[in-house]
Amino acid sequence: MDQKLIDALKGARETRTDSSRADVVTEVHRRGRMTARERLASLLDEGSAVEYGSIAGQTKDGEWIAETGGVDFVGTINGQVVIASSTDYTDRGGGYGAGRLGRLFSLAHEHRWPLVFFVDGGGSRAQHPRSGQGHIEFAGPVGRFTIVDGNAELSGWVPTIAIVSGPSFAGHASLAAFSDFLVATKGSSIGLGGPPMVEAALGKRISANELAGAEMHETKGGIDLLVDDDGAAIDAARRYLAYYEDHPTGPAADSASSIDALVPEEGPYDMLPVVEALVDADSLFQLRPRFAPGLITALARLDGRTVGVLANQPLVDDGAIDNDSATKISRFVELCDAYEYPLVALVDTPGCVSNWQLKGSPDTVEPGITRWHTRPIMAHQHRTVPLFSILVRRGRGLGPALMTGYSSAKGVPALCLGWPTMEVDHRDGFSTTTYSKAIDDVVAPSETREKLSRILRHLKRDLSQPEKKHTIDSW
Amino acid sequence: MLDPESFVEYGVLAGATAQVMDDSPADGLVAGAGRIAGQPVVAGSYDYNVANGTQSDRNQRKLGRLIFLARKHRWPLILFVDGDGARPGDHQPGPPVVVMPRGRWDVYDGMAELSGWVPTVTILSGRALDGNAGIAMLSDCVIATKDSAFGSWVESEPVLRSVEDYAKTGNVELVVDDDEAAIAAARQYLCYFLSDVSEGAPSSGHDDIGDIIPDNRRRPYDMRKVITAFADADSVMELGAKWGRSMVTAFARLEGRAIGIFANQPKSPLAGAIDVDAADKVARFIELCDVYGFPLVSFVDNPGYMVGPQAEREGMARHHARPLSALHHRTVPLCSVQIRKAYGLGPFAMSGWGSGRTVPELRLAWPTVESGGMSLEGAAYLVKRKEIHAAESKAEALAIRDEYAETMRDMASGLRAGRSFAFDDIVHPAETRGRISAILQRIPRTLGAEKKHPVDPH
Repeated sequence: MDQKLIDALKGARETRTDSSRADVVTEVHRRGRMTARERLASLLDEGSAVEYGSIAGQTKDGEWIAETGGVDFVGTINGQVVIASSTDYTDRGGGYGAGRLGRLFSLAHEHRWPLVFFVDGGGSRAQHPRSGQGHIEFAGPVGRFTIVDGNAELSGWVPTIAIVSGPSFAGHASLAAFSDFLVATKGSSIGLGGPPMVEAALGKRISANELAGAEMHETKGGIDLLVDDDGAAIDAARRYLAYYEDHPTGPAADSASSIDALVPEEGPYDMLPVVEALVDADSLFQLRPRFAPGLITALARLDGRTVGVLANQPLVDDGAIDNDSATKISRFVELCDAYEYPLVALVDTPGCVSNWQLKGSPDTVEPGITRWHTRPIMAHQHRTVPLFSILVRRGRGLGPALMTGYSSAKGVPALCLGWPTMEVDHRDGFSTTTYSKAIDDVVAPSETREKLSRILRHLKRDLSQPEKKHTIDSW
Repeated sequence: MLDPESFVEYGVLAGATAQVMDDSPADGLVAGAGRIAGQPVVAGSYDYNVANGTQSDRNQRKLGRLIFLARKHRWPLILFVDGDGARPGDHQPGPPVVVMPRGRWDVYDGMAELSGWVPTVTILSGRALDGNAGIAMLSDCVIATKDSAFGSWVESEPVLRSVEDYAKTGNVELVVDDDEAAIAAARQYLCYFLSDVSEGAPSSGHDDIGDIIPDNRRRPYDMRKVITAFADADSVMELGAKWGRSMVTAFARLEGRAIGIFANQPKSPLAGAIDVDAADKVARFIELCDVYGFPLVSFVDNPGYMVGPQAEREGMARHHARPLSALHHRTVPLCSVQIRKAYGLGPFAMSGWGSGRTVPELRLAWPTVESGGMSLEGAAYLVKRKEIHAAESKAEALAIRDEYAETMRDMASGLRAGRSFAFDDIVHPAETRGRISAILQRIPRTLGAEKKHPVDPH
C-alpha cells in the first residue's frame, strides 16, 4: 500500500488526540476538569477500548475538518462490556452528530450493552452542516435508532448512565434526562433551555447554574446523584454498573450484630443504619438521596446478590409518603424490575400525604391521596421481579400497598416478614387492615439477613427475555 | 346510566351476616352487569345511605367480583365512588385491603390490573374518603360533580379537598354540574370505546377551518375551534381541561371512528409552550389512546418546551421525556397537522418521528407552517447579537432582528417545508379532514389479545 495513505491516516488521527492541542488541554486542566479522552480512559478498563469514528468529521468546501464533538468507544468496566462516549465541549460546545449517537444506541440495543455517556454541551449545533437549521438530524443511516428514539428504546433494556459535569442544555439535557442513572458534578447544570434561549425567550440574563443547577436538581429529583468532580462521577458510574452483575457471596456489615437494637418500639429513629446493618458491608448505594428524603431508594447486595432497597425514613415527616416519595418509589420499582434486581421493602409508614401547590394559595401538605400515589401500585402490579417485605413497625392506610404492592401482582411478594416491633390490629380510616394476617413469618431483625439470603438463592435472576418488559419512566 | 332492562344485579342480599336483622341493603354497594349503547359493562354504586357508603368485607368482595368479570370479558367498569372509606367495626376478619398471600384480585390491585385493559370510569357526587378515593385515583377517568370533594380521615375528622383542586392538578378529568351531567359524560366517554359509529357528518364550520387562523402570525387563536371544525359534528369531548392548559386533549370522532386528539393551545397563559403539566397530561393521554386503540391526531403550534428557572425547577428536563417515550412506544397510528410553529424538541413531542420502532402515519402542515430549531426571532437575536447590541436605538435593534428572522422564515416555511419533504404534504386546511380519514380508513382498529401496558395514573 502506498505509504502516503498510511501516513495520511495517522496524520488525520493525530489531529484528534489531546497531544495535538496542548493549549486546549491545559485550559481544561486549569479548570479542574478532564478532557473527553481522559474521562473515557479513566472510566474504561485499561487496554479494553475500541474507538469508533476516530477520524470522523466532515468535508466543507473540499476540506476535511476533523470534528465530531465527541469520542466514542466500546470497552469494558470491571470486565463488563459497555459503550462509552463523551461529548467534547471544547469542540464547538460539544454539539453532537445524530448519526454518531444513533450508531452507539443501535449497538447498545443489539448486544444489550450498557451505555455510559458524558453529556455536557448546548444541544445540537446552531448551524448544522447538513440541515442548516440547527436542528437535530434524525436520518442516521448507520443503525436502527437515532437520538430521541434510541434513548427511549434503550430505557428498560440496557442500563444507561449519563454524567453531566458542565452545562448540559437542550438536546444534551434530553439525553441526560432519559437515562436510568444521572450523575452530575457540583456546579454543573441541566436544563431544557439554556441561558441564551432564556435570554431570547424571556429577556432574562441568568447563569447556567442559577437557571438549572445540579444542586437544585439534587433536592428536586432531576438527578440521581450529585458528586464533587469528574473523578467522583466516574467512580459512581463504575459502582452503579457493578450492581448489574451478582457476586457469589458477600460479607455482613460490622453493624449486623447490633441490628436488634436499632428500632425502638416508639418514636423516631434513623432507618438508614437499619438498612446498612441488613445488607452486605459497604454495599448500600443510595439513588436520589436528597430528593423525597422520607423514602430511601438504594441498590445494595445481600450475600452478594444485587437487590433494590425501598425503605421509609421515619426521621422525615414520620415516614409519610408524599407525592414525590410516591414518584421515587414507582421509578425505582420500574428500574429494579427492568434489570431483575429483587426488591427488599422495609415498611414503617403512617400512610400517604398529598402536597398541594396551587396558584394563589399557600403550599400545604395534608393527608389524602392523588394519582401520584397510585403510580407505585401500578408499578408493583406489573413487575415480575420478586419482592421481600419487612414490616418494621407501622403499615397504615395505603402505605404498605405503595411499598410492596399486592399479593395478586405478577410478582407476588416472595416473602413477607414482620419484626417483633410491628404494629398489629391497627385500624385506620383507610381500611380495617389487620396487617398480621399478611405476614409469612415474624423474625428478629438479626435473623432477617440470613433468611432473605437463603430465599434469594432459591430465586434465579433471569435476563434472557427477548424483549424489554417496559420502559423506565423518566419521572 | 345503563340501557333499560339491562342490569343484572349481583349480591343483592349481601349484608351484615352477624346480625339477624340486617339493615344494610346490598351492604352499601349496588353492583352488577349491564349494558351501555348495547355493549356489556360492569357497573356499581356505593350507597351513601347505607353506613355512609363505607367499604366492608362483603362489598369489597362484590366489587372484586365485578373487577374479575371485567378483566375476563374485557367489559368496561363504571363506578360511583361516594363513601367514607373503611367501615368502622366491620366484623369480618381479613378484609381485602391488605397485602396477604391469597393469590386473587381485589379492589385496588384489581383496578391496577384493569388499567390498560378495559376503560375504568369513576363518578363522584358527594364525598369520597380514603379507600373510596383510592378507587377513583386508580381509574382512567374521574368525573365529579362540582360540589364534591375527596379526602381522608384524620383522628375521626374528615379532611376534605374540593374536586376543583383535584381537576387543576390532573387528578380529575371532568367537573360537571350534577348527577345527570355526570352520567351523560360517563356514557359518552365509554361510547368512544364501545362503538364506532359507521359514519359521521362534518361539523358546520368545517369548510372554513382555515379562517380560524388569523392572518397576523403573532395573533393567537383558540385551538378548540380548530378541533371542533375538524372532527365530526358534536363529537368532541375534552378531558382534563382545567390543568396543563397549554395542551388540549380530547376524544372525538372522525367519520364515525373514535380518535384521540392532542393539540397545543396558543390561546393559553403559556401560549402553547409545553410545561411540566402539559407534558404529563399528554403523555398519559397518549398511553390511554394507545390501550383503547384510538388513532391519534395532533394539531401542532408551540414555541417548544417551556424554558426558564421555574420550568427547570419543576423538572422540565425529566418530564419532557415522558411524551417522547409514550409516542415512541405507541402502536396506534399518529397523524399530525402543523399549523404554525414547533421549536426545539416541540415537534417531537407532537408529531412523532421516524424510528426503529414506529413511524408517524401522516405528517401534514398548513401553508402557515414555520420551521426552525427555535423561535426565528430568538435565533435571529442569537446570530445577530453583536449587531443588535451595537444598534443605536431599540427600533433599529428590532429591525435587525426581524429582518434576519424574515430571511430564515423564507428559507424554511410554508411551501418550502413541503419541498424539503419536512412534511408528507402541505395541505389546504379544508383538505385536512379528508386526508387523515383516508389514511385512517386503511388502518383498522385492533385491540390486542393481551394488554399492552397500564396507563400511568399521572
